[in-house]
Amino acid sequence: MIELVNVPSLITVQDLGRRKYQSFGVPVSGVMDEVSARLANYLVGNEDNTPLLEFVLKGPTIKFHSSTVFAVGGDVEVKLNGQPIKAWRSYWAKRGDILEIGTLKSGMYGYIAFAGGIACEPILGSCSTYLRAKFGKALSSEDKLKLGYAILTGKEGKQLPKEFVPKYEKENIVRVTLGPQEEHFTKRGIETFLTSEYTVTSESDRMGYRLEGPKIEHSDKGADIITDAIPLGSIQVPKNGKPIIMLADRQTTGGYAKIGVVTRVDIPRVAQTRPNEKIRFRTVSVEEAQDALRKREQMMKAVKLFLKGELRAYKLRVSEEEVIAFTKVEKKK
Amino acid sequence: MFPKFKPAGDSAIAIIFGSEISEEINKKVHAVAETIEHTSPEWLVEVVPTYTSVYVYYDPIKISYSEIAEVLKPFLSAEPKKEEKRIVKIPVVYGGSFGPDIEFVAQYNNLTIDEVIEIHSKPLYRVYMLGFLPGFAYLGGMDDRIATPRLEKPRLKVPAGSVGIAGKQTGWYAIESPGGWRLIGRTPLKTFDPRKKPPSIVKAGDYVKFVPISEEEFQEIYKDEWGEER
Repeated sequence: MIELVNVPSLITVQDLGRRKYQSFGVPVSGVMDEVSARLANYLVGNEDNTPLLEFVLKGPTIKFHSSTVFAVGGDVEVKLNGQPIKAWRSYWAKRGDILEIGTLKSGMYGYIAFAGGIACEPILGSCSTYLRAKFGKALSSEDKLKLGYAILTGKEGKQLPKEFVPKYEKENIVRVTLGPQEEHFTKRGIETFLTSEYTVTSESDRMGYRLEGPKIEHSDKGADIITDAIPLGSIQVPKNGKPIIMLADRQTTGGYAKIGVVTRVDIPRVAQTRPNEKIRFRTVSVEEAQDALRKREQMMKAVKLFLKGELRAYKLRVSEEEVIAFTKVEKKK
Repeated sequence: MFPKFKPAGDSAIAIIFGSEISEEINKKVHAVAETIEHTSPEWLVEVVPTYTSVYVYYDPIKISYSEIAEVLKPFLSAEPKKEEKRIVKIPVVYGGSFGPDIEFVAQYNNLTIDEVIEIHSKPLYRVYMLGFLPGFAYLGGMDDRIATPRLEKPRLKVPAGSVGIAGKQTGWYAIESPGGWRLIGRTPLKTFDPRKKPPSIVKAGDYVKFVPISEEEFQEIYKDEWGEER
């Protein structure tokens, strides 16, 4: 069991989301940045969908009431019993140990994973917190959380190679596929969308990020559509011409025209953009977006196996660039 | 023309069956959605039926966009089953603090508030889809005489049970949320509860009748439903 001693920001339990209930109007929810969250889980030997803690900007202080392996994901200073330790590395904590997490130096969301995950009663099949329907809750100090089965698959001292540590930028170029309602915008409107710089506003949360910037012009079809579904990363443009990027806690359907959808690979980049930081959009084909996702997933799988000790990482030189490659670990006879 | 396929990002495809709200189109939507869901192919993540479209969420690691349209084609011939008519009565207090936009709706359409209430509570509405938020039902059959555009900028907070109008649509918010509908009233019913099976008071294909009630009746029902005073 762990206890939250100090909770300076919104902290929730999340997994990769609630599926199969969108047709009842139930949002998917789940982590805002699946890459950071999954990597944190890998570091402690968990599977991709294991429930973990997500915090916004400032991390909590946690007291361990039982021993476990944990890892912190994020660009942040971390202390265990007052001693500095590293993010993106797994550590062993004993009963009574105190973990202090500072303020993120970049990015918006940080993650804390525990070996075996956080134990929870799933609601409609998931442990993801969805505050608007009171599925789970915003954690506060003195809240105690049970950990998953203490089969300690997690090993301390696992470190994410620096090549895979996510970098969170203040100015992001985000790839989108146009549509499905691009005919609701004029040519000029689409050009404005693809050539302008947009600023994330403070009216942004887990549901969506509202952007400030040049007004996107609608065609004579207007801003409203017959309500239809909203995939993750949909960019709705209401009548005021200001885009809203729909994220984890987005509603399942909506009535504003969608000019485009952020590619799955670039969702974490969007999620980690803070209010007052910038986003520019660039269009790609669906095929390019799916290729990029396949490549990313191959890499995620390799990193997962590497952290499990089944693959060995080494550096390759491709022209001027250094890249990381993996080979199978030779098993000792 | 219809049906047509459109990508909706790299992990969803929209099958669009028409460009207007009609019972016939919506019945086709649900027939196709049910058939895909029932077949449950291994690449399927989930199916979301709407008024005129079926969104198929898929895993692009298992199937690419160029393949999926081909694979989905045989599902398009699914035919609607015969529906049994279930009528769900939803009590509503109209106007006042429960429906702060009812005056705007009346003015916009050159009607009195009483006329708006009469026109809104008269029809049997068909539940075309659930969506937007848990338990939110999209109803068809609203009278054009009270149609009103959405707010230009959505409200950040709309109370649970609020009944509203957006364009030619009407419905209620099952839980508190942001939203852009013009609010005309509020129901005391708890219309969504994840502990109940099914979690929503209505399902697609049901019919809804709004019944105007007084504020006193509202308070009484509210206490029964929510176990607390409003």
